[in-house]
Amino acid sequence: MLSRVADDLYWVARYVERGIAVSRLVDVTRHLELDAGTEDFWAPLVGAIDLAGDDVRFYLTSDTMNPDSLVSCVRAARTLSRGIREAMSSEMWEELNSLYGSLAAPTVARPRGEAVSFARLVRERLQSFQGLAESTLARDEPWHFLELGKFVERADDVARVLNRQSHLLAAGSQTKDPTGPDVVRWLAVLRSCGSAEAYARYYSLRVEPARLVEFLLLNPIFPQSVRFSLTGACLSLDALAALRSAAGNEPGPAVRTLGRARAQVELTAIDEVFERGLEGFLSNIQELIAQASEELSATYLRDEPVPGRLVGVARATMIMAAQQQQQ
Amino acid sequence: MTTGSRASVLPSYAPGEFWDEMFAAPGQVRPHYADLARRLTTLSSADVQKRQRAAELSFQAQGITFSVNQDPSGPEKTMPFDLVPRIVTAEEWTRIERGLEQRVRALNLFLHDIYHEQRILRTDLIPAELVLGARGYRREFRNVDVPLGVYTHVVGSDLVRDGRGTWFVLEDNLRVPSGVSYVVENRRVLKRVWPQIFTDYRVRPVEGYPQDLLEVLRAVAPGSDDPTVVLLTPGVHNSAFFEHAFLAKSMGIDLVQGSDLFVDDAAVYMRTTRGRRRVDVIYRRVDDDFLDPLAFRADSLLGVPGLLATCRMGRVTVANAIGTGLADDKAIYAYVPTIIKYYLGEDEILPNVKTYVADDPTDRAYILEHIAQLVVKSVNESGGYGMLIGPHAPKKDLDAYRARVRDDPRGYIAQPTLALSRHPTWSVDHLEGRHVDLRPFILFGRDVKVTPGGLTRVALRSGSLVVNSSQGGGAKDTWVLEAEPC
Repeated sequence: MLSRVADDLYWVARYVERGIAVSRLVDVTRHLELDAGTEDFWAPLVGAIDLAGDDVRFYLTSDTMNPDSLVSCVRAARTLSRGIREAMSSEMWEELNSLYGSLAAPTVARPRGEAVSFARLVRERLQSFQGLAESTLARDEPWHFLELGKFVERADDVARVLNRQSHLLAAGSQTKDPTGPDVVRWLAVLRSCGSAEAYARYYSLRVEPARLVEFLLLNPIFPQSVRFSLTGACLSLDALAALRSAAGNEPGPAVRTLGRARAQVELTAIDEVFERGLEGFLSNIQELIAQASEELSATYLRDEPVPGRLVGVARATMIMAAQQQQQ
Repeated sequence: MTTGSRASVLPSYAPGEFWDEMFAAPGQVRPHYADLARRLTTLSSADVQKRQRAAELSFQAQGITFSVNQDPSGPEKTMPFDLVPRIVTAEEWTRIERGLEQRVRALNLFLHDIYHEQRILRTDLIPAELVLGARGYRREFRNVDVPLGVYTHVVGSDLVRDGRGTWFVLEDNLRVPSGVSYVVENRRVLKRVWPQIFTDYRVRPVEGYPQDLLEVLRAVAPGSDDPTVVLLTPGVHNSAFFEHAFLAKSMGIDLVQGSDLFVDDAAVYMRTTRGRRRVDVIYRRVDDDFLDPLAFRADSLLGVPGLLATCRMGRVTVANAIGTGLADDKAIYAYVPTIIKYYLGEDEILPNVKTYVADDPTDRAYILEHIAQLVVKSVNESGGYGMLIGPHAPKKDLDAYRARVRDDPRGYIAQPTLALSRHPTWSVDHLEGRHVDLRPFILFGRDVKVTPGGLTRVALRSGSLVVNSSQGGGAKDTWVLEAEPC
């Protein structure tokens, strides 16, 4: 498929997944506010911003100046989709387009207090988009670029949430019996990755930092974990690389870089992660993901100009000039 | 629903002094509209409004929109859609079909002649300077042989009917005619929101258009058995982008932009995730001027450097061919009946509208004197731009156009103001007559094929004669009826 189209599909999937992650954060800030009173939990979850309460939620949902806000994600995904609607199913395009239409309509200006229900609504539509992709697309290149975007974004989002809490998590992993406020905090981390219920079912134990990190980082079968996401991303990238190789072209370095990130989470035990330092481990994963994304772009998506191109153009011009002189 | 709101939408309808497509006289419905009229009389205005709303939502959700004035940040609009279909009988259509085929064949012979021997210019039938001075004439394309001798693979001609119901060709669009996606989508939406009305009629389907187009494009490929066909679009900011995406998707071909293509060693390639891939046929929706910055406008970012040269060598087919704008120049249009006679030895089946070419001194004098009764058009503009409707224009506009015609006579033509036919059209809560035209689409590959239907454009403002979507026009589904089995 066209490199430009693949590039846009990859980013549509990333923005959709990012929107879902952001909407979970909105949910979590509300829980924290209600459970933990005045203590400031937002900064570590959301990043370094100087806001609280409804202002945080406005920033996360509706602030068009925030490039990662929910409305910004939806707008970016829809704007890209518009140019490549022929590469996705009509159902997928209509889902995004009507979601965007409902955000753009001035009649639905939202009272600030309703950010949580708004975020949930948008999340459901974005998840529906992912579901439509799953059920309406053939498993060829467009599908693999969407999968790649979704999983790369998810691995990155989860790693980022963990990293922002890494000091507290590392400190907490020493204490055996966490107290009330800590439990609220750890639950918030799980919720912000949509993983609280699954964790409860999987461990059926109190939330402890070490298990939490193990679950979100290393679990092989839970779809929100970093390991699961990197595995999914690698599978799709391998499929794409095979197609490219079959056409006689280099599969590019992204395959190795992403594979290295995947090996880290596959082959490291949770004790080793803490021994080596959680923050360093997570930062390394995030760097590998960023590097793979760059390499992916260079090989598959931008398809850097072929060296012969300008020569070809010059030659065509000369041929044309010669022909015109003959007339 | 109470009987009060069931007030029918039809009885008050006044056909007026124009040719009305549905009514032969007040209260007297033409036979082929009888079943539809019966349906309409059983309908309350609330019903119509509900279905009208459903249609609009359907267009919105699918993103069937165009942007106005190429303004990227501007609002995207849907083309207003009128529920009441326009019906054309099988006999009427047969004549239209034959007339359009004749016209398209003659125009292609004309283009071939002008880009090769220029036989017609050695007669006194058409002034050579009019042809060679046309802005659409591309000297660079002379002596290039196009596959099958076909220059215009897709044509959209605008037809109108006058006060007596006679069909005329108002103009031919031979460059990058648009609107066919509405033909297909209007039908689809009407079937969805008002399926009942289809039970009374046998309407010829239009949804085969994309496949027919693909067949044409494959037929003109330079020598490959399994050619790669792409659609070249200027991008999402183009007002017809929806159509480009729609056609590419329906044909299952790649929708490319100029930056996706490059020329290397006298062949066109596209950049794909698996590496470069050779392109054989480009269905371009980009004007000549922007196709190749090396040959035409150097500031164009929409085109492909080296495309013209590759095309001249016959290594890629561009559809429509480069230089077809010559034949839809509005001053050349005036000579189409002559062109038909010269190349085919036949009289035209569909007449032209009487046209005064300002380049001709006698015609020019007539235009200057009678400008207030005429429609004056710039020869190269389309979309309702660069046009003066004399009877509706204030004096300062008349003066301005007089000056323009004097300064640049080659740039203008004039036609009598036509009393375009009208069609019952939904207006707030009842039906009113609105002026309509019809743009059928003609495909030309191995054969000529006219899609049975077309885009009926309707001037939504009361009394307005301008049907262009950029100027507040809407559209209707157009039904061509199956011939009665005999």
